[in-house]
Amino acid sequence: MSSAQIEIQLIASLVAVACAIPGTFLVLRKMAMISDAISHSILPGIVVGFFITQDLNSPLLILLAALTGVVTVVLVEYIQKTGLVKEDTAIGLVFPVLFSIGVLMIAKKANDVHLDIDAVLVGELALAPFDRLLISGVDVGPKALWVIGVILIITIVLLLAFFKELKLSTFDKGLAASLGFSPVIIHYGLMTVSSITTVGAFDAVGAILVVALMIAPAATAYLLTTDLKKMLSLSILFGVFSAIAGYWVAHQLDASISGSITTVLGFLFLLVYLFAPSKGVFAVMYREKQQRTEVSLLTFLLHLKNHDEERERHVNHLNEHINWQKVRSKTVLDLALKNNMIEINKNIVSLTVKGNAFTTQAIDYIITNEDAQIEDMKDDFFLFRG
Amino acid sequence: MKKLITILVIFACFSCKNETKSNGKLNVVTTTTMITDLVENIGGEFVNVQGLMGSGVDPHLYKASEGDVTKLVEANVIFYNGLHLEGKLVEVFEKMGSATKTPIALGEELDKNTLIGSDYFASNYDPHVWFDIEYFKQFAKKVTQVLSEKNPENTDNFKANEAKYLAQLDELQKNIKATIETLPKEKRILVTAHDAFNYFGKAYNFEVVGLQGISTATEAGVQDVQQLSAFIIEKQIKAIFVESSVPKRTIEALQASVKSKGHEVEIGGTLYSDALGSTGTLEGSYIGMFEYNVNTIVNALK
Repeated sequence: MSSAQIEIQLIASLVAVACAIPGTFLVLRKMAMISDAISHSILPGIVVGFFITQDLNSPLLILLAALTGVVTVVLVEYIQKTGLVKEDTAIGLVFPVLFSIGVLMIAKKANDVHLDIDAVLVGELALAPFDRLLISGVDVGPKALWVIGVILIITIVLLLAFFKELKLSTFDKGLAASLGFSPVIIHYGLMTVSSITTVGAFDAVGAILVVALMIAPAATAYLLTTDLKKMLSLSILFGVFSAIAGYWVAHQLDASISGSITTVLGFLFLLVYLFAPSKGVFAVMYREKQQRTEVSLLTFLLHLKNHDEERERHVNHLNEHINWQKVRSKTVLDLALKNNMIEINKNIVSLTVKGNAFTTQAIDYIITNEDAQIEDMKDDFFLFRG
Repeated sequence: MKKLITILVIFACFSCKNETKSNGKLNVVTTTTMITDLVENIGGEFVNVQGLMGSGVDPHLYKASEGDVTKLVEANVIFYNGLHLEGKLVEVFEKMGSATKTPIALGEELDKNTLIGSDYFASNYDPHVWFDIEYFKQFAKKVTQVLSEKNPENTDNFKANEAKYLAQLDELQKNIKATIETLPKEKRILVTAHDAFNYFGKAYNFEVVGLQGISTATEAGVQDVQQLSAFIIEKQIKAIFVESSVPKRTIEALQASVKSKGHEVEIGGTLYSDALGSTGTLEGSYIGMFEYNVNTIVNALK
């Protein structure tokens, strides 16, 4: 592996970590799309910064860009608070306007500079190792690595310092305020960090990848856990895994690195979405199927309880009387037998003592809706959970 | 952070194989297909040539792939067009010069006073210089000079290849002039989607009208289409042309506009502008591409 290849993976991994941290909070606060908005609306900040310094590499550009990012958030909040439009509409109203102002400023004043939209919005990870940082003539590594490294350190320091405040203001704004943390300050602090991360990262890896790295790992982690610390570590793990796996996919296909990383992020989400233990599609499908069977079981047990006459309780007549298809009546019978709720004697079904007690309990629960009575049944049956 | 380092180390161990395949030859990286073809002709089997852009790629919009990283890392010499044709790549090349890597912008070596100025392009020069064979010959000389400096023991081979290639270019020059002579002067009007053919027009006395070139804005407006269709009818132009690296939508809009005014204009064919055809075909070489373009233009306009 050449040093350029290692540097690319290192830059991509650092960007992934730097994005995953604010990304987790954005996803939890249902503000994921704000990173997309920021990635566009900072353009006027960059243009103004360029007008002042005449230098595309000046740190002032990043600062002004981040400031425009915060302006975006303030405007979005302001419009949203009017109550006339929803949050996504407010985002959609603000960022195109700011972006267009940037485009117009370029068209008017900077047409002959390389400040076109492509150059600003489409960073190229593949070329990052060739843009070196020279300190008094000594090559100290790719510039992008330093920019991202500094941003990441600031992010981690802020995260450690304000973790409690961030957590509280994310989950319970009212409590945070009454305990004396200002949720507003924490909110804008988080937005400033997201804004700076977006700006710093997209020169290196491009805006789409930044948005993907902010949202996808956090959204994936959210499917697996509801513990904030676990969610943060999982987001970081998913981000770094996708960055490195994506790089090697690009290596195999000889394709765009940013594109491959984003694709891996998408696949990872899809996998977790399908197979997550409790929120995944298959888990939910299995649970719903179980619940349907159990509803049938209950119906069946009630039927038995209500009818003493033998012809109503004959195995072959179940289909007609409760109107089930054969398959389902077999499943239900098996389930009931397995749980010792019924016994079958000469094709006549009757409730056992346990079955009788269970049915009575279930009816009580349905009527009174009191949880305490069914605590011991929850382990066996989905129906009574949640 | 520990996880990250572990993962990196694992991957590092997976791919510790050495990927260089230089076998002592000079590694040359080129950008556009025209320059790739040129360096292959002059370097021959004495250098490794790696082109970054494939056929049909618009150099302004080129996106680097993972494989390009390795090509650039191993490059000893990089030949590119410059004059901002390659967009962001040019900035990267400009910073890359070092003891072991020499980036050469062939377009920047030309006499700027003879170049066509342009408001549209960032450098204020139209970068499509390869459409004047004289400029392409200067490219060839520069390439020979640089290769000889970098690899002196093969100087004689490079010089011999240069002489052969320059002779072919002279032959090409003669042939296309003869072909163009068969077209009456008043019919030498070339209408295309964007303004890649200004040097071609200047060198061979064509009036060149690009749909996007009429206004300096990047997208052709309704008014441009209207003006140009009036122009086509007035000059009784028989055919207009699509370019290989520009979508044909705008040219079809123009054709429809002419039609709506009760006149007919054909689409004369697809011209190669910013990239050559697929490798292996006749249009995959600079000379083949030039002949194909001229034949297509002359046949359609006759």
